[in-house]
Amino acid sequence: MKFYVCIKQVPDVDAPIQIKDGNLIQDTDRMVLNAYDASAVEEALVLTEEHGGEVEVVLVGPEKAKETIRKALAMGADKATHITTEDEVDYDSAVYANVLATFFEDKEYDIISCGKQSQDTDAGLAGSMLAQHLNLSYATNAVGLSIEDENLVVKRQGDSGQEIIALPAPCLVTCSNDMNEPRIPSLKGIMQSKRKPMETIALSDMNVDESVLSAKTQVTGYKEKPAREPGQKFEGEPDELAEKVAKLLDEEENVI
Amino acid sequence: MSTLLTHIAVSDGKIKRSSLEVLSRMTQLAESNGHSSEAVIIDTNASNYVDEVQKYGASKVYTISDPIFENHQNTPLLKALSKVMDEANPFVFGFGSTEGTKDILGALAANTDAAVLSDVSEFELIDGGIKATRPVMAAKILSDNEAHGDNILVSVRSGSYDLNESPTEAEVVDIDFSFDEGDLKATLREIIGASGDKIDLSEAETIVAAGRGAKDDEGQELVEELASVLNAALGASRALTEAGVMDPSLQIGQTGKVVSPQLYIAVGISGAIQHVAGMANSKVIVAINKDPDAPIFDIADYGIVGDLYKVLPPFIEELKKIKE
Repeated sequence: MKFYVCIKQVPDVDAPIQIKDGNLIQDTDRMVLNAYDASAVEEALVLTEEHGGEVEVVLVGPEKAKETIRKALAMGADKATHITTEDEVDYDSAVYANVLATFFEDKEYDIISCGKQSQDTDAGLAGSMLAQHLNLSYATNAVGLSIEDENLVVKRQGDSGQEIIALPAPCLVTCSNDMNEPRIPSLKGIMQSKRKPMETIALSDMNVDESVLSAKTQVTGYKEKPAREPGQKFEGEPDELAEKVAKLLDEEENVI
Repeated sequence: MSTLLTHIAVSDGKIKRSSLEVLSRMTQLAESNGHSSEAVIIDTNASNYVDEVQKYGASKVYTISDPIFENHQNTPLLKALSKVMDEANPFVFGFGSTEGTKDILGALAANTDAAVLSDVSEFELIDGGIKATRPVMAAKILSDNEAHGDNILVSVRSGSYDLNESPTEAEVVDIDFSFDEGDLKATLREIIGASGDKIDLSEAETIVAAGRGAKDDEGQELVEELASVLNAALGASRALTEAGVMDPSLQIGQTGKVVSPQLYIAVGISGAIQHVAGMANSKVIVAINKDPDAPIFDIADYGIVGDLYKVLPPFIEELKKIKE
């Protein structure tokens, strides 16, 4: 079984963020593997350990993103492709999906997976866009995966419950990070990752139609979220607190 | 004059409130910009919902009815949405940001070559496009975005806009649709825990959410009683769904549902950033936690520092008195 996992390098959302003149100022040393993609890698590793096969990761991003590819290889992925871009690019989900669609045109695979969204933009669009370009059946927001016969069986979180969907290969699935705890690479894994094959393709050498590289959507700036002011905090006897807060909710807030 | 089209999502026989919020906003934008506000209902029997949709200002309502829409399946829904886009040629096509929407929005944009902005908290029309605000980086900051093009898709977080009635006499256009089940490559085998009479979290006016502090049976019973007194939906932090105490569909946060009720009561929840990302847009937040330094108190309007086992019984009694 051939798995491809599309991964992305993102800023650590737990690192301090500042906004200056509408731009994001972040500690660029704290770039990480997107947490949802890490879950997709973990799940691909578990399924291939169980059923045999190979896991290849694909990343579209600048030179610096090699660290993130190494992380996925150290977790246990067999090989990687790095589609290299300029350091600063203004790509939206549609551009990434188009680049990946071009990459997959001449590839053979059973399952393509990725995180359900990337934790920096939280857009959640690229997975289903890629499926559509490749004309694959797909499921998003998977919270469990298994393989039965020739099908990928996806448990996905829907609006009114969990849906169990069988997808015949080849197919695409996007993963929630509720489905597993991604493994932490061992020292051995880290050492081995340096010897694993990593193919590098410059985006400019790929046959991607120029028109799809200019994004239809742009981020024009960032701003602070109006902070929620801490309200009133009460300590004391439970009976008195209960009465006081219930009254405030009823009389001041009118939400009871 | 351009068309501003709203997708009306139906679930368990009811229109999702978030769809009507988007329609209210679209109608307001149409009125102030000289455009037309239209809507599309896709369901087993879409005409059942036309009366309610026209209350919110849609001057034309497209209906697509087929038994295939009994449950959410992305292939037929995509086909129906692509078809209505051909028919209505909307300048902006708006959606409530539900799990069903998240499943198809990217694919629909790819299929129709439309620009798309997902999960916005505000949007307005600009020349040749839209301008929108999106919470990003675990909802810690906001990004300003623009999308340009002839067709723009936008999904809107629930609770971003108020419902606003402005009744119209809508023209109803029934679109022919057929779907061969043989074309479904994916097979929907089962739906587990369909909500039935449960209150949908993303639509709820009041939510009582439980965290690690309430994970034993006694804590759960108290939380359920509080929810029942307030006719509230039940939610949970990741700690509880991971421990298997509460169903994963009830998880609120960056990885679970994003909610925006009028009243959110966090019981025994410390307030990790991932949880806060899913509930910080609630109108009024009450936190009950025995740790006075829990970060949830930084965003709560009313914080009760105390043991939930001691605080909840009198709190439930007080609320019962008010409700009587």
